[in-house]
Amino acid sequence: MPSTPAPRALRFLDPAVVSRLGTMELKARTVVEGFLSGLHRSPYKGFSVEFAEYRQYLPGDDLSTLDWKVYARTDRHYIRKYEEETNLECHLLLDQSASMAYRGTAPMSKLEYGSVLAGSLAFLMHRQRDATGLMAFDEQIRFRLPASARPGHLHALLLGLERLEAGQRSNVERPLHQLAEALVKRSLVVLISDLLDDPVPVIKGLKHLKFRGSDIIVFQVLDPTELTFPFRGAATFRDVETAEHVVADPARARAAYLRGLAELTQRYEHELRGAGIDFVQVDTSQPLDLALLAYLSTRSRRK
Amino acid sequence: MNFLYPAFLLGALAVAVPVVLHLLRRDVAPDVPFTAVRLLQGSPVDSSRRRHLRDLLLLLARVAALLLLAAAFARPYAPEAAAAATRLRIIAIDRSFSMGAPGRFARALDIARGAVDEAGFADRIAIIAFDERAAVVAPPGNAADARAALGALAVGSGATRYGVMLGKAVELAAGGPATLVVVTDLQRAGWEGEARARVPGAVALDVRDAGTPPDNLAIVALGMQADTVTASVLNASRTARQGVAVVTHDGAPVARASFSAPPDTTVEVPLAWRRASTGTVSVAIDDRAGFSADNARHAVVRGAAAATVMVITSSDASGFFLLRALEAAAEGTLRALPVTTEQIAGARASAIADQSAVVLLSTRNLDRDARAALAAFVTRGGGLLIAASPDVDPAVVSAIFGWNVATLSADPAPRQVSLAATDLRHPMFRPFGSLAANLGQVRFHHAWRVKPDGWQVPARFSDGSPAVLERPLDAGRVVIFASDLDRRWNDFPLHSAYVPFVAEAVRHVAARHTPPQEFLVAHIPAGAKPEPGIQNIDGRTIAVNVDPRESSTGAMTTAEFRGMVEAPTVVAGGMPRQVHAEQTESRQNLWQFGLALMLVALVAESFVGKAQR
Repeated sequence: MPSTPAPRALRFLDPAVVSRLGTMELKARTVVEGFLSGLHRSPYKGFSVEFAEYRQYLPGDDLSTLDWKVYARTDRHYIRKYEEETNLECHLLLDQSASMAYRGTAPMSKLEYGSVLAGSLAFLMHRQRDATGLMAFDEQIRFRLPASARPGHLHALLLGLERLEAGQRSNVERPLHQLAEALVKRSLVVLISDLLDDPVPVIKGLKHLKFRGSDIIVFQVLDPTELTFPFRGAATFRDVETAEHVVADPARARAAYLRGLAELTQRYEHELRGAGIDFVQVDTSQPLDLALLAYLSTRSRRK
Repeated sequence: MNFLYPAFLLGALAVAVPVVLHLLRRDVAPDVPFTAVRLLQGSPVDSSRRRHLRDLLLLLARVAALLLLAAAFARPYAPEAAAAATRLRIIAIDRSFSMGAPGRFARALDIARGAVDEAGFADRIAIIAFDERAAVVAPPGNAADARAALGALAVGSGATRYGVMLGKAVELAAGGPATLVVVTDLQRAGWEGEARARVPGAVALDVRDAGTPPDNLAIVALGMQADTVTASVLNASRTARQGVAVVTHDGAPVARASFSAPPDTTVEVPLAWRRASTGTVSVAIDDRAGFSADNARHAVVRGAAAATVMVITSSDASGFFLLRALEAAAEGTLRALPVTTEQIAGARASAIADQSAVVLLSTRNLDRDARAALAAFVTRGGGLLIAASPDVDPAVVSAIFGWNVATLSADPAPRQVSLAATDLRHPMFRPFGSLAANLGQVRFHHAWRVKPDGWQVPARFSDGSPAVLERPLDAGRVVIFASDLDRRWNDFPLHSAYVPFVAEAVRHVAARHTPPQEFLVAHIPAGAKPEPGIQNIDGRTIAVNVDPRESSTGAMTTAEFRGMVEAPTVVAGGMPRQVHAEQTESRQNLWQFGLALMLVALVAESFVGKAQR
């Protein structure tokens, strides 16, 4: 199992810190490098690489890369260098509906958090020479970037993430089906959404993708306000997407709400995991490492 | 309830703000944007009577806070509370030495005790004993404490000062209602030199006569000449009085003389006695019916010998004019001792140390011993007057005192200047007054140039250069007259201002500081007892005498006394009422309670508001 990132590296994964960084590229780079520097002897290190050359050992090099056979033959220390390779295609699906623009007590809105997460994943994938694509949607597909591993592609993807704005109502099912039909080879699909809509069509879409042979990770991004419902005083709660409103006294409505949310989450977990789909719920006030670890875990399984 | 600054009550109009907000507020359930509304179940909003009650409590707390704030700024006070307060009764008893006449002070104490008995059960009583000082011998308290304080009182040696006593009484009353009972012999002298006193209208004045002063004989002054002591005897009686004055020197009778004084007259009584050089002198008379404290007067004999002034001359600088001027102006207080530089050469230079002052007219042949003796003389407190002349070498003078040689220099060429005093307050020129202008008639054609750094310059020549300079040197002082005093560089000796100038200049350098040795009881130094007589403080002998004004027996009526006390007229809206209101408000400090209640209201508002959220 991967170890927990060190405290100093964690600082760069903190949403409060990340939100203050400038461009999406900087955010993604900071998160990924902070995350990787926090991994200790990670079992993921070295995957997707092939041997390239020998190099003479220098103090500070990892002893695990020392080639003992060469040492036995030549009585000299050499370490093995590897070259990364890729044959994976990754698709990032980011929900940009109006509900994703919600920000309660967290330092970033769900859309900002999801964008940084998507950018970090893209950055990580790009380091591994994986072809990465992006699809941002609400009730329609608003932005689409086909998967590619070209050098300038990452920049275009990050720029696209940076320019995302909250849209209208969400319809997660449509992009899932569209993507499932469009995929020609096995891919890794990452869905980033709050998943507060009706779960039935969403699960159906995800299973469709899975059926086409893709590995899927689903990130349910929720604000701490949505997770705890900390409101006080009677209020008219108005839905940011549908304008539906409910007058409620939080003190009385809190228990039922949290129960409903738990049931929704449990249903996703149950249905998706049963279908071999990873489901991760992330809190926008929490560091991004949990989401990145989930990705690495899925990625390693694929190898 | 009254308010000191009622205009601040307009601030209470601010209560309209929470009231209007309360009336306008209709949204019991404000809009809150949210995402997972689908998961929410509607619940009845608490708009019940309880919520209305909370709102009402909130409104009341806010309105109360604003009203209390406005009221606190308006500074409320309760006048009726002031009136209902316990009254203060201040009894001021005169203990000046005029009350020491037989039976007078006992009568005053009886009157004061009667005033204590008249006090109401709840009244607080304070006792003030006064002469030229007013002391609270019993702070506001019960009658027993007041009686005890009266029992411990005794006549003092001070003079009556009513103003001091009234000031202390007003301070004790602190603006509140009080009755001031003044027990005194109503000596008119107690108002001498004082303006009418102001007493607040809330202080009721009750003057009680302890008995008019009796006939009195007093010694009010003492003069000492070489062969005579003169006592000034005041007969403050309605009839002529005779008596005998006795002089004692260090406690031993040395002279006596009879006198006869007409009524209300002061006579000078000469007593033949050759003045001693040291010791104390007292002159006493016998007057058992009058005030005992003024029957004697005391003095300390100062050294009476004339100050000796050594005038250092030479064959070319004889000091003729200076010596004649000193002889004419000295009046026995200065004795000039002319010596040539040869006469103080060698071991004889030690004679310089015995002088009161030295005038240096020549440095020709002034040997090393004489120079050193001169420097030591000044260092130990002596005064030296240096008069510039052809016979005084500036370099020698500079060398004696270690001054820079550039400090003093002689004029290289003649100049025509006159003299002007620039500091008429200087002791040398103070006696001249407006006649100092006469110094401008003197014509000078030669002088020294003196750099005035570190020097005081009380007179300058008409070209601005210093003419008379003075500087302290250790314990002594040096005065330089920058031109000749012997008519070689000027025509000064031919002018009428010459003699007084020389006399004052020599007196000034001969004068040494001696601390005062005679005091009135009211002005005794620290450590001395406030009673007349000869006293010794830290090895120093002083004479303490009573204030002669108190020896007068002139008395006033209680009506006249009241006339000297200015009671402010209480006019509606006028200053006295305002002052009274301020004092009442200051005592009650109700605004502090207002602010405290406002804070309580705000805390309550905070709690109710929090519970509502």
